Amino acid sequence: MSGGVPDEGVTEPGPDEEPTPCAYTEYRDGDSESDRTYPATGADADGVEARVWAAIRDVEDPEMPVSVVDLGLIYGVTVADGVATIEMTLTYTGCPARSMLTGDIERAAEGVEGVERADIDLVWSPEWTLEMVTDDGEQALREFGVSI
Amino acid sequence: MGDLRSLADLSDEERTAAEALLFRLADDEFVLAERYTEWQVIAPTLESDLALSNIAQDELGHARVWYDALNRIGHTEQSLVWERDPGSFRHSTLVELPFEEGDWADAIVRSYLYDVAEDLRLDAVAESGVHELVDPIEKLRSEEEYHLQHAQQWLERLCDDADGLDHVQDATDRLFEHALTLWVPGPEAAAIEEYGLRGDSLASMRRQWLDTVGSFLESLGVTMPLDPEDDPADHRPAAVGRDGSHTDHWPRLHDDLTETYRELDRSDVRRLRGESA
Repeated sequence: MSGGVPDEGVTEPGPDEEPTPCAYTEYRDGDSESDRTYPATGADADGVEARVWAAIRDVEDPEMPVSVVDLGLIYGVTVADGVATIEMTLTYTGCPARSMLTGDIERAAEGVEGVERADIDLVWSPEWTLEMVTDDGEQALREFGVSI
Repeated sequence: MGDLRSLADLSDEERTAAEALLFRLADDEFVLAERYTEWQVIAPTLESDLALSNIAQDELGHARVWYDALNRIGHTEQSLVWERDPGSFRHSTLVELPFEEGDWADAIVRSYLYDVAEDLRLDAVAESGVHELVDPIEKLRSEEEYHLQHAQQWLERLCDDADGLDHVQDATDRLFEHALTLWVPGPEAAAIEEYGLRGDSLASMRRQWLDTVGSFLESLGVTMPLDPEDDPADHRPAAVGRDGSHTDHWPRLHDDLTETYRELDRSDVRRLRGESA
């Protein structure tokens, strides 16, 4: 797999620098794959994009009460001219809940002020693995009874 | 991965070649999954029911991935699956054959021959330089890995027993010429190679596939249906799938799998409920 999942703290903080709680680089068009780290959580987003991240955080996986953001399924959110584009993946290609999940995510994004339409860009690279789950997601999975 | 181009950025000629490649990939996975599901509740153990159902689900997922790519260049699910003329499907005849009744060895041999080929084919497609073809490869490969393990372990188990070995030999003899159609070029083969959409030639992949499946099957006591010096082209069945020619089994299977779609089309649900009155 290209790149793989980087270790935490890809950018080594300098000696006088406080380590940032969530070390990841937000994806922007034109960035190379290697500039991106996962999971993406929207922590650096602002304005309408931050609102979209917050809205889709409420969408849960139909099999487990865990946010799709904390599962690491959302790779990026961009909003331009009222159109939100949500780049995301699924845990596996045969996921039977695909339409339900993408529909829920589209509707959540379209409920955000400043968004008229939401489009899903479904991608498979990088491959989703358990490493994509955030700390909060791991906690939620444990509480649900999934050992991780 | 280098710079990838999307399907939309290709020239018309390149896109036509990529489209043909996608049809081979998608149709193989889709039809194989359809056949696997026939075993869903009749496999020899509950574990096997689950394993083969899961493999079928994966293959349907992979078909969906490749059909999604075709959706991006103007196709729809209706036109790709439910309303497509069965004669325009491009899958290998290996995946359309019905299973010999109750012959678990048939399902296992077929899965093995297919999954070794799939592994080689994904390697080649990874070199295509086209985003929609390259993006899913690692995901598919990680899902494919256990399919091959499943088939190999079952083959070892079956061939450990005299009756089991006979069944495996019969299935190999019956299926092998159809498995060779996995490597038969379609009408766009020259263009696919010219535009670099396949990192390795069909002839080279067929050679590697023959080496791999031949040495494994022979190690289990199975006699290969063709000698190393044979020309595989001499072992082709009358219908090869890749050019739209199929066995008589395919139109029947297509008719079965599209039946519900057609039934729904015939009944106007709204009128039945009186909602449009």
